[in-house]
Amino acid sequence: MPVKYTTNTARLIDTVNVEDAEGLLEWLQTQKKPKVNLSACSHLHAANLQVLMAAKPVISAWPKDMELAAWLKGALDTR
Amino acid sequence: MNPPLLEQFILEAREFLQAIGEKLIVLEEAPDSVELMTDLFRLVHTLKGNSGLFEFPEMTRVLHAGEDLMEAVRDERVPYSRELADRLLDAMDFVGLLLDEIERTGRIEPGHAAPAEELARALRSLIPGAEAAQNAGQNRPNAVTAPEEVPLPALADIPEAARLAAFRSAVSGKPLFLIVYRPEEQCFFKGEDPFHQARHIPGIVWGKALARAPWPPLVELDCYRCLLDFHLLAAAPRGEIEEHFRYIPEQVRIEPIMPFALIIPQGLPNGGTVYDDSVAEALEFLDQNDLAGLEAATRKLLELSAPELWLSSALLWLLALIESAPAEREVMRRLIESLNTLTPPDLSDLAHRETVPAAAPTEEVPTPKAAFPDEDRARLAAILAAQAEILALPDDVDWLPGRLKACAATLAACLTGLGDDAAEVEEALAAALEARAAQPLREWLAAFLEGFASAPAETETAPIAIQGEAKPKFGRRAEDTQSGKVLKVDQAKVDRLMNLIGEMVVAKNALPYLANLAEKRYGVRELAREIKAHYAVINRIAEEMQDAIMQVRMMPVSFIFQRFPRLVRDLSRKLGKEVELVLEGEETEADKNIIEVLSDPLIHIVRNSIDHGIELPHVRTAASKLATGRLVIRAMHESDRVIIEVSDDGRGIDPVIIKRKAYEKGVIDEAQLERLSDQEAINLIFAAGFSTSETVSDLSGRGVGMDVVHSVIDKVGGTVELQSTVGKGTTLRLSLPLSMAVTNVMIIESDQRIFGVPMDLVGETVRVPLADIRTIKRRKTTVLRGRIVPLVALNDLLGIAAEPKANEDGELAVLVVRLGGQQVGLLVDDFREVVDVILKPLPGELAKLSCYAGTALLGDGSVLLVLNPKEFF
Repeated sequence: MPVKYTTNTARLIDTVNVEDAEGLLEWLQTQKKPKVNLSACSHLHAANLQVLMAAKPVISAWPKDMELAAWLKGALDTR
Repeated sequence: MNPPLLEQFILEAREFLQAIGEKLIVLEEAPDSVELMTDLFRLVHTLKGNSGLFEFPEMTRVLHAGEDLMEAVRDERVPYSRELADRLLDAMDFVGLLLDEIERTGRIEPGHAAPAEELARALRSLIPGAEAAQNAGQNRPNAVTAPEEVPLPALADIPEAARLAAFRSAVSGKPLFLIVYRPEEQCFFKGEDPFHQARHIPGIVWGKALARAPWPPLVELDCYRCLLDFHLLAAAPRGEIEEHFRYIPEQVRIEPIMPFALIIPQGLPNGGTVYDDSVAEALEFLDQNDLAGLEAATRKLLELSAPELWLSSALLWLLALIESAPAEREVMRRLIESLNTLTPPDLSDLAHRETVPAAAPTEEVPTPKAAFPDEDRARLAAILAAQAEILALPDDVDWLPGRLKACAATLAACLTGLGDDAAEVEEALAAALEARAAQPLREWLAAFLEGFASAPAETETAPIAIQGEAKPKFGRRAEDTQSGKVLKVDQAKVDRLMNLIGEMVVAKNALPYLANLAEKRYGVRELAREIKAHYAVINRIAEEMQDAIMQVRMMPVSFIFQRFPRLVRDLSRKLGKEVELVLEGEETEADKNIIEVLSDPLIHIVRNSIDHGIELPHVRTAASKLATGRLVIRAMHESDRVIIEVSDDGRGIDPVIIKRKAYEKGVIDEAQLERLSDQEAINLIFAAGFSTSETVSDLSGRGVGMDVVHSVIDKVGGTVELQSTVGKGTTLRLSLPLSMAVTNVMIIESDQRIFGVPMDLVGETVRVPLADIRTIKRRKTTVLRGRIVPLVALNDLLGIAAEPKANEDGELAVLVVRLGGQQVGLLVDDFREVVDVILKPLPGELAKLSCYAGTALLGDGSVLLVLNPKEFF
């Protein structure tokens, strides 16, 4: 299971596949203040990426993979 | 060597191209012919389909566009026009070019993606509303702007660190590209991951994913409609980047970036004049050519400034320049001067110039020569090549000076056209005239051509250069020198040749008779010897001819083997079994007819092996075997036979069960049940109407199959052997003649007539004393090696009213023939030699006489009737 959902945090683990996007989107829709932990994530399918970009959840931890972290910060940090 | 399937594709594709070209030409004459148009569409369509089997996206793309266009023409949405034909022909020439490349290297260079895209667009542009149609075809309901129209991101938006890194790699010689990648909305359904694609672009320096439009509220978001754009900065050769996007070239825009364009200092402005001193100082360092001093001063200033300042940013760039492009004084000067104004330096005039110390990324810089149109360039190259040819002619002719002058005039005109000075040509001409030799002019031209040829590669970007080189080849169909290495010949012609050679073999056999005749009847010994010597020569040639024609008809068994991996995979999946398929000896060759005949029986056998032979994984593990069954299909040559073995390590065939089943089905009676040996029992599966499987599956077990296999193999003169050990597995061994052209027959004599019997049916020849022949129920029998063999007189079978003749010792000649596991003795008068003959089936009405397999001509000119003993009983 590449995405683990706890009370208000989704943990993305290893490679998150295209099939997971729907579940992630549904989960994000139901949460009031969703958090996403990316620390163990090595890649996520573009569908997941756009879900995160659209939902703008709080990112509680960025990926350890520096290159992926740079990508995601560029896409998700909308400051 | 390409895989056979690819070989075949290339062969067929060439034929298709040829046919398409022909049809297009004919269409010019008869543009209204619906039939031609439909044919043409079908050809393009099939070719496209075939190309899709392989990884040739460029080819498929062009053909797809061609297909769309043809469809529009067929549906009369687009009228046929000469321009349309031209574009289609161009596209087909391009496909031909790709084919050449595939044949040579087995793949297509990624550089062809751009021309392919261009051709496809040119084709589509002829279809009215093509864009819309294309979008619809690609499941893009909302017309998405093509990447060409997507604005490039502003360089200033790229983070400074990324720009600095890009600048450093760019000045160290790597071409730099800014890429906009706009995946199509439905791309997720095609299994694409644009993010992955973007992350792994070669030479990535920076990348950003952004929303194509503001995001809709979450509840309305369709997470499977891709709304992302990617902006990428990559330092890698264009070819590599194109290769990366070769499946989706229409979704990316790749633009070269000049390194200096990246120099955009950013930050908070802060007091200007404070830095006046520093600026003056820095400029001084620069004037004195003291880079070390400049660097030290810059670093010091940088330490003093807050990092978020515009100044710091500019200083960082200055440092980067000093480190990686120390020769760029003018750029440094402007950058330093800009410190005064705190506005980005205007480098636009320099931006298009090459960075000086860079190794040689010469690609981006356009030079006047590049502006020279490609077509003219090709023409010019042709002219120059012609001059070179003229100059290469021998010098020893009276009109040499005239020739030289003519050449020089042509060359001078070319040079003027190019905007070059023609003085060099004049000099070379003078030298040549003096020496009365073309040498000086030739040398000059060679040197010039070298420069000329290398020029476009340097001045144009890579893919265009490739296209440029390809241009002359790309050209027209008329001068197409595609010389086929493969000749496709109607099989009937080969068969005719084979028959003729066969007759020649027979005719040559008459020579020894003639030699005998010369010696014996006319007593001319010398002549006899001469004839024999000539016979030896003709014999050798005839045998070689026979061998050669056999080779023509030979085909490797891989032709039928290649479908097995798929078959085995599908079958085993369906039955829940695990099967490992091993193919051996795929290169073994046999006659085309034999190979074709083999195909269906082999499928039956493989099906049987998987269905009945190999057990389910849990059964196998219980029997302490590997869960994965092993199916080996092996082909090999054995003297003049080709052997195909299919063996599995499954449950084997249990003779007890076979016997019981055979008895239940009435294939054998009770007496046979007791008498049959295990091997004989196993052979019962070849009996008609026999099936061992408890349940009839849709794969096999309907009781047709093995008997069909047997009869088919039998028909071409092959044999089937079956070996099986219970619990260990089954091996089926098919033995087939290499070729059906020559048949080995034994000649027998009966009532002073001669007949042939195919050797593969002959078991043995014995002479049986009359005393050993007994009559059981009015039928003659004898005992051979402890077995009772029924005897039948050939004369009786053929309706010849004569008794078999015994020899002086009172023995009868018995030809024992094997008929489906049984042995029958044919009583004949005498045995003669065994010969190779070309067996010809009986013509017309006579073909209904099934007791004859056919006729053959013998060396002495007589006709031999070859019997078919299988039909006697």
